[in-house]
Amino acid sequence: MKESRLMLLQYSTAVLAVVLVAIHLVMQGIATPYSTAISYATILSIYRTWFYAIFLEALLVVVLVHGFNGVRIILHEWRQTAPWSRWVDLGTVVAIVATVAFGSRTVILAVFGGVAG
Amino acid sequence: MKELRLVVQKFDPFSDAAPRLVEYAVPRREGMTVLDALLYARDYVDHSIGLRFSCRQASCGSCGMKINGRPRLACYTQVDELGAEKVVAQPLDNFAIIKDLVTDLGSFFQRHREVTPRLVRDDAQEQDHPTGEYLMKPEELSRVLQFTYCIKCGLCTSSCPTVATDERFPGPQALAQAYRYTADVRDQGGAERMAELDGTHGIWRCHFAGSCSYVCPKGVDPALGIQLLKRHVMSGRPPHSKDDATKVWKPAEKQQ
Amino acid sequence: MSSGAEGKAKNRRGLSGWLNPYHYNFERWAYVFQRVTGVAILAYVIGHLGDTSFFVGGPTGTGPSESSWTFISGLVENSFGHLILILVVLVVIFHGANGIRLIVSELGLILGRPSPIEYPYRPKSLRSVQRVLIWVAIALALVGTGWAVLILFGGSI
Repeated sequence: MKESRLMLLQYSTAVLAVVLVAIHLVMQGIATPYSTAISYATILSIYRTWFYAIFLEALLVVVLVHGFNGVRIILHEWRQTAPWSRWVDLGTVVAIVATVAFGSRTVILAVFGGVAG
Repeated sequence: MKELRLVVQKFDPFSDAAPRLVEYAVPRREGMTVLDALLYARDYVDHSIGLRFSCRQASCGSCGMKINGRPRLACYTQVDELGAEKVVAQPLDNFAIIKDLVTDLGSFFQRHREVTPRLVRDDAQEQDHPTGEYLMKPEELSRVLQFTYCIKCGLCTSSCPTVATDERFPGPQALAQAYRYTADVRDQGGAERMAELDGTHGIWRCHFAGSCSYVCPKGVDPALGIQLLKRHVMSGRPPHSKDDATKVWKPAEKQQ
Repeated sequence: MSSGAEGKAKNRRGLSGWLNPYHYNFERWAYVFQRVTGVAILAYVIGHLGDTSFFVGGPTGTGPSESSWTFISGLVENSFGHLILILVVLVVIFHGANGIRLIVSELGLILGRPSPIEYPYRPKSLRSVQRVLIWVAIALALVGTGWAVLILFGGSI
């Protein structure tokens, strides 16, 4: 893939992340008192509101893609041997897939899972 | 007469295990450049100081070195302007050391060649045997003029954080020259030149730390050229199309 | 230059070129902080995936669990955890605001145009708008941090 496509991805996830993280910070600390925002009942109601569940999933994907692509760039600049370059690209995809999968599991279980005690 | 403490990093890769700093006492005078001080030390104190210079007027780019921690031209840096009682001269970072202050610029010139630093025309016959002059308007010239002042001294590449680790990155000098030719209205090779730079170790490994422009002694502003080129690489469109490139202008008296 | 080429010291700065901006321009400091904060934020995000997973009972959980959430809250909601959160707010706001400056600059929008040089010369790419925007990023980060300190240590929780 052309590097400019990946940089377009990096720039667009950056802009989205600024917007989404700003909303996240406001929701956690300003819109509601912090102790309320982190209470079990508040979080459950947030996850079970479609709009917020999709927001959290988007935040997850955008931040992780931006973050791991950033690390990919740093690692490419650090070393340039052929095996290193191959493993960095592969490792980036694996890291994004694995972390997004784990985070999505939290979101999916929070939205659809049966409430335990 | 006041004395200047001149410290030179000495290192001969053939015989020395590690670089060492050697201090020389040099008589200080007003208007003295660092190159003057180094030449005094070499001529009267230690003949073995390895030093490269030529024009003494910031035109040739031979005497680039790290002076008090920052890449500068020795001939273009007055001792007084440093505002320090001690002057420390070390070879440029990011270049292999040949001896003492002399660095190997070979791979640096190779990076320059790799960006096709010349005007490219689609018509090969016309390129080799132009039938007339290619004119530029003043505003078209001012778009590229400052980048043509590059003397290939290597200060920018020495200051670049990406070059510090990335051996495949072209470096600020080569990238600024890529912009210089791509933005030239007489050039038709922009698309190909930009495609070459759109790889993993191409133009996007610049993160605009700006140190290249900070150290450039000729006002080239490589960071400006690189950022301006990034927008065109992102869109895939050169600053002008091949059709918009300057056509040959034939003086009336030469037309047959 | 037969055997000699091998003997030449390579002399690349290596990682100190990334991390040590001393002797260089103000924007170089922003470059260093952008890189360091980026890695730090990613490390926090990965940890945050771990702690939020306890809302659904942790890595082996199956659905929302109040007891599991109470357990992890007991571990992270203390002065040390809140200190980490405050640092995260500081670096996230700086990284975001400085990042916007970089995107806009790298697309050539606030740099000015090339022009004939007049001495004493100052590079257009380093003109004051860059420094101003970096200070704006620092100011926003400090305001956000102050806010976070008030919320987490202001005694209102």
